This record gives sequence, structure tokens and C-alpha cells, in this order.
Amino acid sequence: MKKALVIARWEYIEKVKTKTFLISLIVTPAIIIAFGLGPTLLTNQPDTTTRAIGFVDTSGIYFNSIRENLEQIKLPNGQPNYILINLTEKGTNFKAIKQNADQYTLNGKLTGYLLILYGGTDSVKIYFRSENSGNFKDLSNLEKAFNNARVKLKLAGEGIDTSLMSFISKNIDIQPVKIQKGGGESGSDFLAVFFSSFVFIILLMMMIISSGGMLIRSLVEEKSNRLIEILVSSCTPEQLLTGKVLGLSSLGITQVFIWTLIGIGLVGSSVIPADTFNNIIPVFLYFMLGFIFYTSIFVGVGSIVTTEQEAQQITSYLSLTLILPIVIAIPAMENPDSLLVHIFSFIPFTIPAVMILRLNIGPVPLIEIILTSLLMLLSTYVSINLASRVFRVGILSYGKRPSLKELISWLKNE
Amino acid sequence: MLVVENLIKNFRDVTAVNNISFKIEPGKIFGLLGPNGAGKTTTIRTVLNIIKPTSGSISFNGKQITSDFFNKIGYLPEDRGLYKKSRAVDVISYFAGLKNLDKKSIAEAIDYWLDRMSIENYRLKKIEELSKGNQQKIQFIIAVIHNPQILILDEPFSGFDPINQQLIKEILLSFVNSGKIIMLSTHQMETAERLCSDIFLINKGKEVCSGSLAAVKKKFGGNFVKIEYQGDGSVLNTLDGVINIDSYSNYAEVQLDDGILPSDFLRLAAGKLNITQFSVMEPTLNKIFIDVIKQSSN
Repeated sequence: MKKALVIARWEYIEKVKTKTFLISLIVTPAIIIAFGLGPTLLTNQPDTTTRAIGFVDTSGIYFNSIRENLEQIKLPNGQPNYILINLTEKGTNFKAIKQNADQYTLNGKLTGYLLILYGGTDSVKIYFRSENSGNFKDLSNLEKAFNNARVKLKLAGEGIDTSLMSFISKNIDIQPVKIQKGGGESGSDFLAVFFSSFVFIILLMMMIISSGGMLIRSLVEEKSNRLIEILVSSCTPEQLLTGKVLGLSSLGITQVFIWTLIGIGLVGSSVIPADTFNNIIPVFLYFMLGFIFYTSIFVGVGSIVTTEQEAQQITSYLSLTLILPIVIAIPAMENPDSLLVHIFSFIPFTIPAVMILRLNIGPVPLIEIILTSLLMLLSTYVSINLASRVFRVGILSYGKRPSLKELISWLKNE
Repeated sequence: MLVVENLIKNFRDVTAVNNISFKIEPGKIFGLLGPNGAGKTTTIRTVLNIIKPTSGSISFNGKQITSDFFNKIGYLPEDRGLYKKSRAVDVISYFAGLKNLDKKSIAEAIDYWLDRMSIENYRLKKIEELSKGNQQKIQFIIAVIHNPQILILDEPFSGFDPINQQLIKEILLSFVNSGKIIMLSTHQMETAERLCSDIFLINKGKEVCSGSLAAVKKKFGGNFVKIEYQGDGSVLNTLDGVINIDSYSNYAEVQLDDGILPSDFLRLAAGKLNITQFSVMEPTLNKIFIDVIKQSSN
């Protein structure tokens, strides 16, 4: 064990000192923040100039109502966001109007125009024609204004007070409350579940990818410069394996810890719901078992590859498999009791993610926690065992990647 | 004493080492010689306990080699490489630590060896900033820093200039005097000839010849003389007992039949030629190597 610690210490200290590590500490959160906040910031950016929107409606019943609705949307400087211009002229033929309107749009005089067909009937169709079809914000504003106008017109036609409109359009959300044995209760919303579960799952994945990647790179380096021979003439492969996993996991934990601190520093601790720590013991158990399970797979695979390029390829494939639990997490959150979620609760690759999620959504029967933990423990044991068998032989074979037949003979410990 | 007995190592359908046995006594340098792919590295790896033999035994002073012996063995592999981004002193400390040396001994040993190798100035430099020769010196230090009882060196001189080769040679000889067991694997027959007192020649996993250097030379040496003369050397061809002649401008190397003594041959030749110099040639290990490997390969 002493030798494993010597190796762990070396791996940790030598990697912490590198520039790559320092850069990854800053760059990774920067990328995540850019991905997370960038689009929201862009789409929430208010317009700065008023947009001219054309309006073509041969039925002639919507214009005033839509304009009223749109006028309520203001720019930050108090000016209206949209000006609605009626292009419908009585007597002119529809085709000519449309051509005209297209022309205005293409000239840049209009941002675009609304074209309403079969107005007043149930099969009304409405188009927004513009040079650029991608502006979802404009589209959603126009859609709201039109639907509002349509309902109002209908109510007025039926002789119903239009002030009921605000009542009809108001939606009341159901507040979920999680009750617990012993009388406790807590408000739980989607966001809280999202954060308390997803944070762990994503941290787990990031840790596996970063430590696993480092592990493979360090193995490839030692294989290519034959240092591995000096290492295994000083300690057993098991000690080497343990030392590397220990050292690089500690490095991964350091990294994730600093990222979490940066995150809390930026957004404030309020983003972490108090609920997060309710199930901390089982969550931590799944977290660590999942980490060791995946890391041992990285080790097994990493000891087979011989070049940096192969290592990169394989790391990216392995990282892809890690996305599976994240993909499953979203539907699982929507329906934690579905059969599929129960099945994934018993597949080693997805146990950690799915179980962390389920623990945060609601109570999980103790028997399931015990069974899945045991299963995870067993899979981790098996994967470590297989990985170290491959490792023993793999680290000393250079050049050609082993064939499947050879791999099997390594596993059989021949 | 390191004893290897009936060592066999199979990899699936290939037999890398086929039933070899040898002994290495302390205070002697043992040369493990053989062409590429002969099984030298496999033999070394089994002695190092990196891989398990298929059968046979390896023992040191009567005890089977196990992982307990890691700290007693020093190894210099043929392919060299180090952690390029790390400082020289850190790399040496790491490997010394892996041999269970305590911090104080590590510091003392590093001081001693950096000084002995005259690379004290590079202590805090990163490995990648060092010249190739100086990197080799660091590797050599790593192999010997824990004062191992068994030292296994694979091509220890490659990459060193003559001055540093001399330095390494002196260090190895001092180890011999202190009673270490040294196993040297090399292709440089001159090196083996100068340093090794016992040799073991291996080809295709099998022993080809072994024993003390003198005995091997005697056994495979043949009967050669070098003769310098004035006049026409072609008359040598007519003499009894001549098997082969390599003629040069004013001398010839003559291979004689085993039945004829060099002194008898001299007498015969003296009647025909004006001889200026005559000597009995010792075959070089290089020649024995080539001859014996060719023979055993056929």
C-alpha cells in the first residue's frame, strides 16, 4: 500500500503542477458558463429599435385588436417594439398586395408581414413572411397577439363580456409538495430536482471524463517511453493501478471541487437547494461506485492502446457512453415510476445516474437501494478485476493492438 | 547467487524462452548475449518478476524471486525515457521512493550520484531541458540509487560518448568489487568481451553456448594464427593443416586444422617464407557470436 501511495502522490503532484491542469480549471467552467448562459443572454436581449410589421388581411377584422395587443410591448426606452402597418387596400387584388408586401420586406422597409387567409372562419391560416424566418421572439409575440385578438372577437361575437378574457387566459400551476414520513414536507419544483440530481450526475460525468482521460494519457506516456518497465520492476501492477486511480481521482475531486466553488461564487449558493443533501449518504455511495466502475473501464481500455491518437479516439468513445445516463435522466425525471426507469436502475452503466435521480425525486424502497448498491458493488468488483487482468499484460505489450482472441486469453490470465 | 533453472516461457503458441538455466555469482558480470528477438528481454522480465515463467524457477540466495525482491533489484531497460515535464531531482526521488528508500537516504543518494555523474548543475532542470546523454545518466542513477544487490542492465552503454562509457564502466567495476550480481545484456560484443567474466549466448529462446569467457573462446575459438612475411604468400596454401587463409598485403590470417599446433605450423612456414612476425590469434567474441548464431540458425 505504501508504494501505491508513493505513486498516487506523484501522479497528483506532478499533474497539479502542469499548465494544462491550471488551464482546465479555468477553461472548462468558462465553456460551461458560455454554453449555459450564452443563448439565454442572447435571446433575452431586448430589441433596441422599433420593428415595422406589415399586415395583410382580406377579412379586415383583426387589425385593430392585434395592433392594440402589440402596442403593449415596449422597448427599454419606452417606445413601442412593433408598429403594425395595414397594407390591405380595398379593391386592389390580393396577388398585387402580396407582391407589394414582399417587395417592402425585401427592401428592408418592413421586418416582415402577417398574412391572414380565410379570416373569420375556423380554418383561419396565418403566415409571417420575412427574409429571416428564425426570429422566434417576434413570432411568439405575434402569435400571442393574434390568438388574443381571435378569442376576443369570438367572445364579443357571442355577446360575452371581453373582460372575462384575462380570467380565461390565466393558467394556475399546481404546486408539488413532497411529504415525508415523520411529518416533514417541502416544496419541490422541477428546477430543484433538476439541480439536486443533475448537478451530481454532471459532476460525476465530468470527473470520470477528466480523471479517466488523464489516466489513459499517463499510461500511454509511460508505455511509449518504456517507463512502465521500471515501474513494474519496482511494484506490482495492482499497486501501480491502485496508485494511479487514487492519485488521479484525487485530482479529479480537486478539479470538481474548485469548479463547484467557482460556480457557487458566480451564481451564489442559492442555486443549491437544501434538498440536495437529504440523501447525501446513498448519493455519495452511488457517486463513488459509479466513479470507480467507469474509471476501471478506462484503465482496462487505456492499457491496451499504444499511441496518443488511439488514446484520444478511445477516450472520446468512452465519453460518449457517459452521455447515456444524462440522456436517460431527463425522461426519468418526468416519469420516475416508469418501467424503463426501473430497468435502467438495474443496469450497471446507468445505476448511479438513475438512482441519484430517483433518490432526489421521491422515496425509493430500501430494498431497491440495497439491491442496486449490491449490484453496483459487484459490477465494480468485476470490472476492477477484469481491468487489472488486462492491465497486467496490456502495459507490457507494445506495437499492435491485441486482437479479441488475445484479449480473451489475457482475461483468462493465461 | 542468482540461479535460473529450466526456465520456460510460452506466449500462447510461441515459446520465447525454451528451458534455459544459468547461475550468476556475486562479484562477476554475467553477459546475456543474443541476436534481436532471441528471448533476452523475456528472460530479463522473468528475472525481474515482471512476468511469470510458464515453468522453471528463479531464486536469489536460495529464495524464490517474488515481489519482495523488488527493492533489491535495479533495472536499466534498453529503451530509455523519462517524465519529460518533471524536474530531474523529482523523477529520481520518485523512483527511489518506489524502492522504499526513506527521504533522508534519498536526499543523500541523490547528492552522491549527481556529483559522481557530474550533473549536479541539472538537479532542478526539467528532463526535457537535458541533453540525451544527461538523460541517460539520470536513468542510470534511477537503476542504482537504492544500492541494489542485483543489477540488470540492458545495453547500458548505448547513447554514451567514450568518456561517459568509461565512467559507467568504472562504476560497474566498482560494483563488481562490492559483490553485486550484475547481468548485462548487449549486442556490443567488444563491451561484453571487456567486462563479462561469464557469458550466456541465447538464440531462438535456447541456449547456444555458455560458460566463462575463456572457456567459450577455447571451445568455439578454432585454431587461428596471424603471420607477417616478406615475399610471395601464396606458398602458404600448399602447407599441411591449412583450412582457410585471409590474405592481406603483407600478412595473412590462417585457420589451422585442430590437429596441428601453431608452433609446428611456424616451423613449416619458416622453411618457405621470410617471416617477420608470428602470433596465435584469439578469436573475438564478435566472430564467435556470428559463427555460432549462424550455425544454430541453420
